[in-house]
This record gives sequence, structure tokens and C-alpha cells, in this order.
Amino acid sequence: MRLSGRRSMTVRLTMLFALSSTVVLLLLGNLIAGSLERHFEEQDMEVLTGKLKLAQHALERVRSTVDLGVLPQHLDDSLVGHHGLELVVVAPEGQILFATSGAEFPQSLLESHVRVDSARPIVWTTKGNHPLRGISALARTGIKDAQPVVVAVATDISHHEHFMSSFRITLWSFVALAALLTGFLGWLAVRRGLAPLQAIRHEAAGITAHRLDSRLSADAVPVELAELVEALNEMLARLEDSFRRLSDFSSDIAHELRTPVTNLLTQTQVTLSKARASDEYCDVLASNAEELERLSRMIADMLFLARSDNDLVIPDREPLDLIDEVKGLFEFYEALAEEKSIVLTCSGSGVVSGDRLMLRRAISNLLSNALRHTPVGGRIAVHVDDTGDSVVKLSMENPGDSIAREHLPRLFDRFYRVDSSRQRLSEGAGLGLAITRSILRAHGGEAVIRSERGTTVCELNVPV
Amino acid sequence: MKILVVEDELKTGNFLKQGLLEAGFGVDLARDGDDGLHYALTDAYDLVVLDVMLPGIDGWAVLQGIRKSGKDMPVLFLSARDQVDDRVRGLELGADDYLVKPFAFSELLARVRTLLRRGGKTTESEFLRAANLELDLMRRRVSRSGKRIDLTAKEFALLELLLRRQGEVLPRSLIASQVWDMNFDSDTNVIEVAVRRLRAKMDDGFEPKLIRTVRGMGYVLEASECD
Repeated sequence: MRLSGRRSMTVRLTMLFALSSTVVLLLLGNLIAGSLERHFEEQDMEVLTGKLKLAQHALERVRSTVDLGVLPQHLDDSLVGHHGLELVVVAPEGQILFATSGAEFPQSLLESHVRVDSARPIVWTTKGNHPLRGISALARTGIKDAQPVVVAVATDISHHEHFMSSFRITLWSFVALAALLTGFLGWLAVRRGLAPLQAIRHEAAGITAHRLDSRLSADAVPVELAELVEALNEMLARLEDSFRRLSDFSSDIAHELRTPVTNLLTQTQVTLSKARASDEYCDVLASNAEELERLSRMIADMLFLARSDNDLVIPDREPLDLIDEVKGLFEFYEALAEEKSIVLTCSGSGVVSGDRLMLRRAISNLLSNALRHTPVGGRIAVHVDDTGDSVVKLSMENPGDSIAREHLPRLFDRFYRVDSSRQRLSEGAGLGLAITRSILRAHGGEAVIRSERGTTVCELNVPV
Repeated sequence: MKILVVEDELKTGNFLKQGLLEAGFGVDLARDGDDGLHYALTDAYDLVVLDVMLPGIDGWAVLQGIRKSGKDMPVLFLSARDQVDDRVRGLELGADDYLVKPFAFSELLARVRTLLRRGGKTTESEFLRAANLELDLMRRRVSRSGKRIDLTAKEFALLELLLRRQGEVLPRSLIASQVWDMNFDSDTNVIEVAVRRLRAKMDDGFEPKLIRTVRGMGYVLEASECD
């Protein structure tokens, strides 16, 4: 099995499965972490805004600069019981009016333009490595005409941070674990899901040249595979048909060769069995030569058919008027036709693009065939018709015994003869019509034959 | 006229040699490509009959070797495969003609004679004659002992072919291809009928009989004095 360039379907499906479930879990994890963090922030904000209000309240009660002296006392009281809470009050001039011990606030929070309603908590870390979250607001004192002061309050959030980081570790390890697990489960599922493919493979492995009649069972497979199985079965049917034709062909060849070879052998051996006059030898050799010539023609014809079966017959196309070719062939067959008092006529016209030699041969085979089957005094009429549908139709009509319907489709098969007892000599090798059809097919055309009420019509449809 | 035959198949080689010897040619037979090339380069031949499939170097290589050495005698190659590629390749390499196996010996002989005639004198005479038969090419007229004989165009062409190649046995396939342009296996009954009709016109009632059937091979036009 080749590994490079091809990936197993199981691996691919497993990967896709694991990947998609990991993506879903990651999104979910992020969502949970995000909402947890928002929850903590809201909690902190509740505490911070409460304290800010207390501080503002305390500041409102400051009526004079004297009251400022007791302000720290008030503020300290309001902070009682709140561990990790820092507060700072800054006067407009930048003077710090109050600060819890060790309070560190970023400067941005203490700027006087901060507004209460737009207050968003910001997070920072102190020098002592404590994460803080804080807000600030303006507060008016009770002193008349005094500028508002800035109050900033912050709370230590290290316990939240600890919780979040351990939560994240748990979350991501769970996601990783789940990805592995779904990957594994996916792998199992894919293997199970692909089991019908394995079954088909097993079935297909059992089909050999000797068992070409067996088919894959289409009922047992899932709907998705039914079409594939049907296509495979159709392919098998085509193969079976070709295979059968091929073996028929081989046995036909053997049969066709056996008779002349037996004749040759017998005749030669009988001649050799005793001394004869040289005239007799001449006769035997001449008759052998005739027989051998027929054999070699048959071999050449079979080679042509074999090549055309493999699409190796490629027409050398040129524009041809079929009627000209028919007239040329009439000249050739003229003498033979006159011997039998057969009249040859042609009419119509039609130009095609085709291989001159091949098309001549195709028509010649038809004509030779028609001459053989037309009774003395008959008439063979060829008509060429440009149908205008990018097909030129050549039809050859001759009188003669009607051919039974069941024979018609097989007439163009090689070695096929209507009457199996018919004399070999009068009939040729039975390859003429097969060659005609091969030539037509090589041109993308078709040959058809019909026969009724004592008239046989052969039609060649040649694409323009 | 000396011919070199390069053919490894024992029987084919022997028969080719015998047949060509009896046809009046001098023949050397080489059994493989190396010998064949050696013969072709050391001796003077008027024609080479070359099989393509040979032990040692193949027919193509022999052909190339011959052409490379500057020798331009005609080469007729024998191919076992009826492949267009083979033909094209052979003709490109400088072969003059080809025959596909199995072939009729009469066909080979006819081709050999054509090739040998090629390049020879091609003086076109106006009359072709055999015994008391005369063919006037210019006026398309045939007469025997001065008596006019009417022939159809194809009959004239057939007689002209037989006359031009007097004494040669012409196979039916060659006649079909030369006279009717039927360059494929066709109904050879037609040739028989055509020759019979020609004979009826120009041999019946005249002496000597000129056209003779050679069974199993073809037809020959001969003014044989002894008959």
C-alpha cells in the first residue's frame, strides 16, 4: 500500500472530528471564563461603589478646613472590616488629603477630570505584587466654593486571580482531554461507519475472471454507497460482456482457422503419401496457396478489428464526397455485377470528413455483401443523403431474402452468419460487416441494417 | 541484379532466397542484424530485403547503418506488425517500401521489381507491344494483328499494367490497387471476372494466348513462343 500522497479516510475523519469538537470546547471554555470574570468584576464594583459613596458622604460632611482634621478618622471607620481595601483622597491641587497605608494608585485614576458615571474599573499591580482593581470619582466637600476632590478606591483581587488561574488550568486540561477522547471516540465511530466499505472490499476481492457473473449486493449497503455499488455492478456487467465477446472471439478464431488448416494438412499429407506427377503437385500447391491467401487475409482482418477494438484505428481525415467513392467502387464491381446482370445505381450527394481508404473499404464490404445476396437481374441502389443534421446517410438497398429480425442486431458481429451451415467459400470469413462497423465507429458514426419484404437496406451514418 | 536478404526466421529466409534466385536474382542471405549490416557495407547490392525483428541489432539499426554509410540502394522492410508507427518510422529512416507479414511471395516479387526499376530508365514509349498485341498509349487504342479491339477504360488500364510488367506474375491485390485504387483486401472474385472479360476481348480468337493464370499467385502476360 502506498502511504505518501494518500491519507486514510479514517485518519482524516478522526482528525476532523477531534478538531471540530476542540473548537467547540474552546469557545465554551472562553465563554465560561469570560462570564466568571465579569461576575467577579461586578462583585468588586458593588463593594467599590459602596465604599466610594461612604467616602463621598464623609466628605460632604466636611464643612470647613477644620473638619479636614477629623476626616481620616471618619474614613478609617468606614473602612473597618474590609481587608485589602485602599482609599485615597486627593485635593484639586494634588495634595493628598487621605490615604490608607501603602496605597498605590496609578496617576490616571487620580486625574481630576474623571467622571463618576463613566467610571470603569482599572486593574493594576502594586510594587508588592498585589493585583488591585479600582475606580475613582469626584466628590464635593461641604466647604463653600471649594473645588471637588478626587476619591479613588481599590480592592485587592488576588484571591479572584488565583481562582481564575486555577480555573483556567482545569478548563484547558479538560478541553485537551476531551479533544483526545472525542478523537478516539470519533475514530471508533468512523471505523464502524466505514465498515460497509470493508464489506464491499471483501466482496470485490472474491470476484475473478471465472466469477464475473457475481455482483456486489446493493441491498446490504447504506444509501450513500448504493449508487457506488450500482456503478461498480454496471462496470462488472460491461466487463463481463466484453470478456464474453473476447472469449467468443477466441473460440471463433480457433474454429475458423481449424477448417482451412485441416484441409491444408490433409491435402498435403495425402499428396505426400505417394509419388505423383508434377501436375498433381502443382495443383495441390496452387490450392494450398489459395487457401493460405485466404487465411492471411483473415489474419489481417482480425488484426484490424483488434486494433479498432483498442481504439488504435485513427482515421486520417480529408473531405470526401461519398458519391464519388461509390462511383469508384461501382467501377471495380462493375464486371462482377454484369456477370450476374445486376444493375448498380447511385444518387444524391454528401460531403463528409473521413479517411478515404477506410470509408471506401467500409462501403466496398457492403457492396460485396449486397452483390452476394442479390438474385440475378436485381438492382442495387445506393443513395447518399446529407440529412442536414451534421450526418450524411449512405443507404444501400438490394433485393434478396429477408433476414429474420433476430439476426439483424448481430449481423455486424464478427464471424456472425445468418445460416450457420452456409458454405464458407461463398461467404468469406464473415468479417466484412464487422470491419465496416469498426470503421464507422472510428469515424464516430454507426452502421445499421434492416430487412423486410424481400428488401435489405444497409445504412451508414457518417458525421460530417 | 544482386539482392541481400536479412531474415532470421529459418524457413522464411530459405524460401525468400530460393524464390528470388529462381526469379533470376543473385541472393545473399544474412541471419542476423550484425551480419546483415556487414554484408550490406562490404558488398554491392542492388536491393536489401530487411526484416525488422532481428537478433543482434534490429532492422532499424541496420537500415540506419546502411544510410549512414552513404549507400542508397532501395530497402524493402518486412514488418510483422501492421502498425502505422512502424511504417512511418521505416520510411523516415530511409526505407523505400514495406510489406506486412504474412505476405504473398508474388507481392514481394512485384514490389522488388518495382523498386529495382525505379531510378532506372523511364523513357516513356508511345506503344506497348507483346507478340501481335499493340497498345497505343497516346490514342488509347488496342489492336491485335492490326485488328482494333474495343476496351473499357479500366480494361485498358488493366492491360496496360500487364503489358508494362510482361513476364511478371501480378498478384490480384496488386492489380486491384494499381487499376482500381483498392488499397485494401477486397473481393478478389472481381479481378477474376475482370481478367476473364479482358481475355474474352483480346485473347479469344487470337493466337498466341497472352494472358495466363498462375494458380495461387495471379496473372501474367507473356508472349511465350513455344506455346
